[in-house]
Amino acid sequence: MPEQVDVDLDRELLTQAQGGDLPAFEALVERHRDKVYSVALRMTRSEADAAEIVQETFLSAYQHLPEFRGEAAFGSWVHRIAANHALMRLRHRGVVQAAEEELKTPEFNERGSWADYPASDWSRRADEKVLDAELGQAIQQAVDRLPNEYRDVFVLRDLEGLSYEQIGEITGDSVPAIKSRLHRARLAMRETIDRFYNEQ
Amino acid sequence: MFTCKDSVDLLLEYLEGEMPEEQAKRLEEHLGDCPPCVDFLRTYRATPTLCKRALQKQMPEELSQRLTDFLRQNCKKT
Repeated sequence: MPEQVDVDLDRELLTQAQGGDLPAFEALVERHRDKVYSVALRMTRSEADAAEIVQETFLSAYQHLPEFRGEAAFGSWVHRIAANHALMRLRHRGVVQAAEEELKTPEFNERGSWADYPASDWSRRADEKVLDAELGQAIQQAVDRLPNEYRDVFVLRDLEGLSYEQIGEITGDSVPAIKSRLHRARLAMRETIDRFYNEQ
Repeated sequence: MFTCKDSVDLLLEYLEGEMPEEQAKRLEEHLGDCPPCVDFLRTYRATPTLCKRALQKQMPEELSQRLTDFLRQNCKKT
């Protein structure tokens, strides 16, 4: 099972790193840097910020190695450190963000039925080998347009796979509030993809 | 009887298997009679997968090197 092998190798490297083996720590960094960079970039939308967050994250992980007891996987731990650093930056920066009302959601008539019949089922295209570059661009722009608290939840849950509880620890929000935001963010993202496939 | 709006509002809960059995049954009854809602459910479920694929990013090589240099310099000090 490759995932288990990954976790086992991480544990081994972690034990060595906790014993002061710097090359073992560097090997852990190499295994996780792309994912940490990815979460930082998706949350801050700035390559410069993402690069600094990656540095801060791994330095902080190194400094706290002795306290890390390994109940969680090393990957989840550094993910959470990176997400925390990204959130702190965003809050500090006070970015002007899109209004919540701008989130696209489906429209229904007064009887609760579809105002517009959903035109096509494109779900199978998610498995196509090559992803359309224009679709990729449309998705990137749609994520950028999400209000921060919706984007954070969507990135952490749907793209990075954190649990609701882990997200709550990072954002300070309740699980029901996180789920509600995730649902609205997913609806907005689905609308973007739907428009792309139906306008082709 | 659930409406299309009800079924969309409850999709996350339903797909995560956290809905009370009775409510899930009513939702499935609606889906059984409503092909547009089935299409919607499928595309809603596929959305995270597509987004994940579209937004995968690798750290640029030059940044990876800078990270290694930074950590070598700073980890020694701690």
